[in-house]
Amino acid sequence: MDRRKFLKTGGRFLAATPFACDLLVASVASASGPGAGRWGMVIDLRRCPEGCDACVKACRRENNVAEHGDPRWDVHWIRQVEIRPHGQEDAPTRTVPLLCNHCERPPCAQVCPVRATYQRDDGIVIVDHHRCIGCRYCLIACPYNARFFNYRENEAWPNKDYPKRSHGVAESCHLCAHRLDQGRLPACMEACRDAGAGAIVVGDLDNPESEISRLIAANSVKRIREDLGTGPKVHYIGL
Amino acid sequence: MSGDRKSPLDGNLVKVVFPLLVILAPLGLSVIGAVSAGDPGAEEPFLELPPEPNEGCVRDAEFMRFHHWELLREVRDQVVRGGGRHEISLDRCRSCHPSRERFCSRCHEAVSLQPDCFGCHYYPADPAAAVDHARAGR
Amino acid sequence: MEILYQPLDGRSRGYYALLTVLLAFVAAGFAATFYLVVHGLHNSGMTNRIPWGLQIVMAIFYIGLSAGSLVVSGLYGIFGKLEYKPFARLAAFLAMLFLVAGLLSIVTDQGRIDRVFVEPFSHVNPSSMFSINPALYMGHIMICIFYLWALFKEKGRLTKVASVVVVLWALCVHTGTGAIFAFTPRELYNTALLPPSFVAAALSSGAALMIIVLTSLFRVTKRHLDMALVIWLGRLLAVFIVVALYVILIENAHRFYQIESREATTYYLFKGYHAWLFWGGLIGVGSVVPAVLLFRRRTGTSVRWIVFASALVVVGVVCERYLIVLPGLEYPPELLPGMEIVRSALDEGIVAYVISPLEILQALGVLSLIGFIFVLGLKYLPLLPTEARAHGESQMLKHLIAEAKAESAEKATGSSV
Ligand code: SF4
Ligand code: SF4
Repeated sequence: MDRRKFLKTGGRFLAATPFACDLLVASVASASGPGAGRWGMVIDLRRCPEGCDACVKACRRENNVAEHGDPRWDVHWIRQVEIRPHGQEDAPTRTVPLLCNHCERPPCAQVCPVRATYQRDDGIVIVDHHRCIGCRYCLIACPYNARFFNYRENEAWPNKDYPKRSHGVAESCHLCAHRLDQGRLPACMEACRDAGAGAIVVGDLDNPESEISRLIAANSVKRIREDLGTGPKVHYIGL
Repeated sequence: MSGDRKSPLDGNLVKVVFPLLVILAPLGLSVIGAVSAGDPGAEEPFLELPPEPNEGCVRDAEFMRFHHWELLREVRDQVVRGGGRHEISLDRCRSCHPSRERFCSRCHEAVSLQPDCFGCHYYPADPAAAVDHARAGR
Repeated sequence: MEILYQPLDGRSRGYYALLTVLLAFVAAGFAATFYLVVHGLHNSGMTNRIPWGLQIVMAIFYIGLSAGSLVVSGLYGIFGKLEYKPFARLAAFLAMLFLVAGLLSIVTDQGRIDRVFVEPFSHVNPSSMFSINPALYMGHIMICIFYLWALFKEKGRLTKVASVVVVLWALCVHTGTGAIFAFTPRELYNTALLPPSFVAAALSSGAALMIIVLTSLFRVTKRHLDMALVIWLGRLLAVFIVVALYVILIENAHRFYQIESREATTYYLFKGYHAWLFWGGLIGVGSVVPAVLLFRRRTGTSVRWIVFASALVVVGVVCERYLIVLPGLEYPPELLPGMEIVRSALDEGIVAYVISPLEILQALGVLSLIGFIFVLGLKYLPLLPTEARAHGESQMLKHLIAEAKAESAEKATGSSV
């Protein structure tokens, strides 16, 4: 897509209107066309190859997620954990990617004092980093440890088209909302496809014809800690 | 009751005036500084403008000069909260004002402002870097 | 009986030295906060697994203290205990200062302090306890100021009304503060008993601190403070301790009994350093020992022992506040039930919080700031009464005075240590 031209049109549009902002609302409402549905994710663990971390790497690169080499302050929008059944020392381990579940009823958004964390109409839970005051209440409230705080300034900036974050704000996976709005796929899904695994599928849960809905219908899926009533929207096959 | 109602400040003019002076002096100095900085004889910062100034800019120069941050803030809120992030971005500003150093910063420095936009949003200080980025980018 | 208020003279060298020391600590706290703001919070002891630390502990400690002070102040306004009128102004002033300290501790803990004074006012989220509470605190400070004004102007009826309002409001404030934790889905936080236990501990810590402040203040300024008053406050404190102990025990028994939170509670009660803080600090030093000291006839009627017991209570409540905030964070949430996490880029197991020097400086700075204002207030506001005498308004007190007198006489003859 010719990004430049696209922006120019947007700019003209702005220039032409004395109260651009009011009109922008209308344009935005129509612009979030893909957001009419309800985004969700399926991770088919059976297709995850041994030792692959394409999604994690791609996410870091796409979203400028901070990595300082210290587990206390590293930020992980998606992270891999190795698990095994409790108390079975010699059982084989499995790797599960964990990320923000974009809860139907997100506790993080519920507790955010300034509504910096909010749920979009399309179900994506996202942080407005211009507004976050860094109270870290959302880190406390998220039962999935999916939220992270920028304890230090992030120096690396691999993707200049996407902003990085200053220190002092909280963040978590936003399902690549900026890409979804453009009609592109999230970085992790793209990387997973490119790696030949195709384990991650992001799509519209409300549309019964979408790939994700068909996957959910055809397989037995599990969501993490459904008992908490948060309504997580990341579904795992083979967990 | 009435005995202790006497204000401890009574007859202690020096004690009041001195701390007040200490508090107010920096304030006064900064006001004087601001006034003298704002005097018309002071040099206007030289801004590098595009070859055709104001051609296709979102607003006229006068508006942009004095209100661009308000516009940016409002548009920012609507884009971030409403979606459609890809439609409006600083890239559009950059297409006419490629150098942050020779455009934004000069003015910001002249009025001693330090907006923190560029800590997180890419706007290279020097257009050469921008060209590199465009070449290396998608 | 007319009560005369005589502010501190405040010309001695000690007074200025105290002010200077306090100011130095304020400056240190300010510098520490500034450093954290500029360089990032990784210089504190907090991490992604432990997002809250000492500042939040101190905040809820201060807010608790303010409730207890208000109750002492309300002894006159609500219960009409005229003997305690001399303390009303001091207690109300302290209560207000402690709220300021609580608010300041929270503010200095934020990642983006530059936005704290903008965003929460322009965007309120009514479902967030962190949004409701500052409003409650601010309102509380306002009401405290109004209450203080009524006390200063000696408005009889208005004082009564204001003290009822302020105590009721304080109840909301403390329930709200407890709810910050209770309303999140963490295993060790998620209990409806947390707000009541918060209020109970608040009362005992506040009353204890008032005892310490009053006795030391009257002694340093060489004013007369009747022993019976302190003894009665000690009795009050003892009751508060027992109530707090009861709620805390029930709370933990409930957590322990519930199968889903038993593992977490076991960790919290019996393993690691929390066990020491809980059994040693909170239960032993903070509740049982002072309760015994206060209830015993000999120690319970000696001012020195009462002050000692009060100090123990304050220590115990600091432990309690720490135990409210940190174990719930250090114990990991159960992500995948039935599974154990072998390896992850994040610390997924039990992690420990290490307090950093900068946070200690911050906490000291906040404390010194309100100390500074308090010391100034003693000089410039009519807070300090010339004397506080028990004048036998109530039968209860007469009885207590006689008892105390007999007791001290007995001691004077019995032991001359
Ligand atoms: S997983 Fe955590 S961060 Fe994501 S929406 Fe749910 S509560 Fe919020
Ligand atoms: S840290 Fe930011 S996003 Fe999280 S609750 Fe606080 S203000 Fe909201």
